[in-house]
Amino acid sequence: MLIWENIRLAISAIWINKMRSFLTMLGMIIGIFSVITIVSLGDTMRGVVAGEYENVGTGLAYVYMTTEDGYYTDNDLFSQQDAENLREAFPKELTYVGFNTGERLDVTVGRTTEKVYFNGLAKNPEAMKKLKIIYGRMLSNQDIEEKRNYVVLDKDTALSLFGKENAVGSTFSVTINREERELLVIGIYENTDSALMKMLSGGGTKTAYIPESIYVSSEGNTQWTLYFIISPEVDINQTQQRVVNLLSRIKNKPVEQIVSYSAAQEMSTIDTMLGSLSAVVGAIAAISLLVGGIGIMNIMLVSVTERTREIGIRKALGARMQDIMTQFLIEAAIISALGGLIGTLLGIGVISLAASILGVKAVVKPTVILLAVAFSAVVGLGFGMYPARKAAKKDPVEALRFE
Amino acid sequence: MKEVIRIEHLNKVYATGAVEVHALKDVNLTICEGEYVAIMGQSGSGKSTLMNILGCMDRKISGSYYLEGIDVAKQGENELSRIRNQKIGFVFQAFQLIPRTSAMKNVEIPMIYAGVSGEKRKKRAQQLLEKVGLGARCHHLPNELSGGQKQRVAIARALANDPAILLADEPTGNLDTAASHEIMDFFTKLNEEGATVIVVTHEEDIAAYTKRIIRFQDGCIISDTGRRETLC
Ligand SMILES: Nc1ncnc2c1ncn2[C@@H]1O[C@H](COP(=O)(O)OP(=O)(O)OP(=O)(O)O)[C@@H](O)[C@H]1O
Ligand SMILES: [Mg+2]
Repeated sequence: MLIWENIRLAISAIWINKMRSFLTMLGMIIGIFSVITIVSLGDTMRGVVAGEYENVGTGLAYVYMTTEDGYYTDNDLFSQQDAENLREAFPKELTYVGFNTGERLDVTVGRTTEKVYFNGLAKNPEAMKKLKIIYGRMLSNQDIEEKRNYVVLDKDTALSLFGKENAVGSTFSVTINREERELLVIGIYENTDSALMKMLSGGGTKTAYIPESIYVSSEGNTQWTLYFIISPEVDINQTQQRVVNLLSRIKNKPVEQIVSYSAAQEMSTIDTMLGSLSAVVGAIAAISLLVGGIGIMNIMLVSVTERTREIGIRKALGARMQDIMTQFLIEAAIISALGGLIGTLLGIGVISLAASILGVKAVVKPTVILLAVAFSAVVGLGFGMYPARKAAKKDPVEALRFE
Repeated sequence: MKEVIRIEHLNKVYATGAVEVHALKDVNLTICEGEYVAIMGQSGSGKSTLMNILGCMDRKISGSYYLEGIDVAKQGENELSRIRNQKIGFVFQAFQLIPRTSAMKNVEIPMIYAGVSGEKRKKRAQQLLEKVGLGARCHHLPNELSGGQKQRVAIARALANDPAILLADEPTGNLDTAASHEIMDFFTKLNEEGATVIVVTHEEDIAAYTKRIIRFQDGCIISDTGRRETLC
């Protein structure tokens, strides 16, 4: 019951000196704000990357070849035949094998010219890219096998090229690999990528999907990188090794010169990065909380001196040492926790704002909030201890004489 | 009659400044339950020093002080706080109200430390303020009250936990004659209701309200009208 009384006292004391209390909190606010922001930024980043691999899973991997001397020959590139060999060798283990064929090309329809980012999709395209088709249909395996001049456009591109979203059945011509082709629009999809991913993918919003077979000829070694998706039913690392071994045999290259990365590895790289980030955050937190705590101690010392008479009166009227002590401790803890809370809210606000601008989902873990506020209260208690003890130890007669 | 206060060979030396001040010199004093006492003397004669000791606020003394038979020197800090809270009502010369805190809240303070629950506390504070004639001023802040009103808030606060002993150090020192007499009338009433009342004053007409006058000079008692009649 005395605790409630003390909390009310503390709040009114803080309220009476609004400006001063706020300035005291500032150290805490900035400290907790930066911690919350940085930690949540890391979590959000991780969430975005994890979300990116959501459809394909962390089994997405790529492979490329290096040479000992830095001179590359034809044999250091991949061909359609290599991709087909992989598909045949691992029908169950690999759900998709294809190349990285993104290219930005000019498309002219009537008087409008747009730069459109073209992606090639190989057999089993759904495994690589799940498109939200709103008109028409997705590319089929048959389209790809028969090298049909088909294209699936995103609706914004359709709108700007043809003046309507449903452009299924329209055609346009584009020069792919120095060869002019007339493409038939068979489907329109809606781009569900976040703004951040659109930015990172460099494709902008205007994207088109075509059969990879019309982009990469079936003859010759032309591709630097081979992409494949490992089924979630098999072990990622093991399968990756088997792919590398097979390629080493086919291409007659030592295993060391075949480099492969999987999304799982990339995720763990990000985790390591976030790990070192949290070490930095820890340091920032420690320093800012130290500074904030010293600020609180300072202002509490001022407050104790200013209120010497009040302390004298309270003691004369029967307050025990621990009563005075708790009064000032609670005041320090509340200033500190309030600062922590404001900092937390600010941090959440900034993260949410940034996330909504980038179109990604903000990740702010409740444990982080709880920890931040609890920790700031503890800092308040810690640094409030000395001033509170000083207050509690005051001699009532002398305190009452204080001018 | 029951003895409430007994002081034996009390000496108080202030050694804070460059020179030592011997504020009380071998004071012996007994006060019984229900007495109404005035303490008089020149400025600097040691009246406030004595009141602080009687109020259990100053223990840096030599000699002994028994309050209701309890040796104050042997009590711990918390026990002293309890005595100040429960047994003694102290009215200070300078009001000593907590600033920016309403009259009501000021009166509630001793009850807070006594652990009285919120509702009961508010009701009693209201009653006490009405008793001192400030029922309409409950929510005023100290700086919105006149000197006499402030002193009455202080008295209401001193009475909060129904103390057996009321100590008032120049309660009328800052007040005009009319206000002073009002407050003394109030003390007289309290004394009639059974409280032991000790008042420090400079003024003979204030002292005239009481039944026993003790005069101090240079830290010594030089006269005590009640010594013969009211021996315990
Ligand atoms: N804290 C202190 N430190 C040093 N000397 C003190 C202290 N308090 C009081 N004294 C001295 O002790 C003596 C008695 O002081 P006290 O306050 O008891 O006088 P008083 O009788 O109450 O006077 P007044 O009528 O002016 O209030 C004075 O000489 C004073 O200077
Ligand atoms: Mg005095």
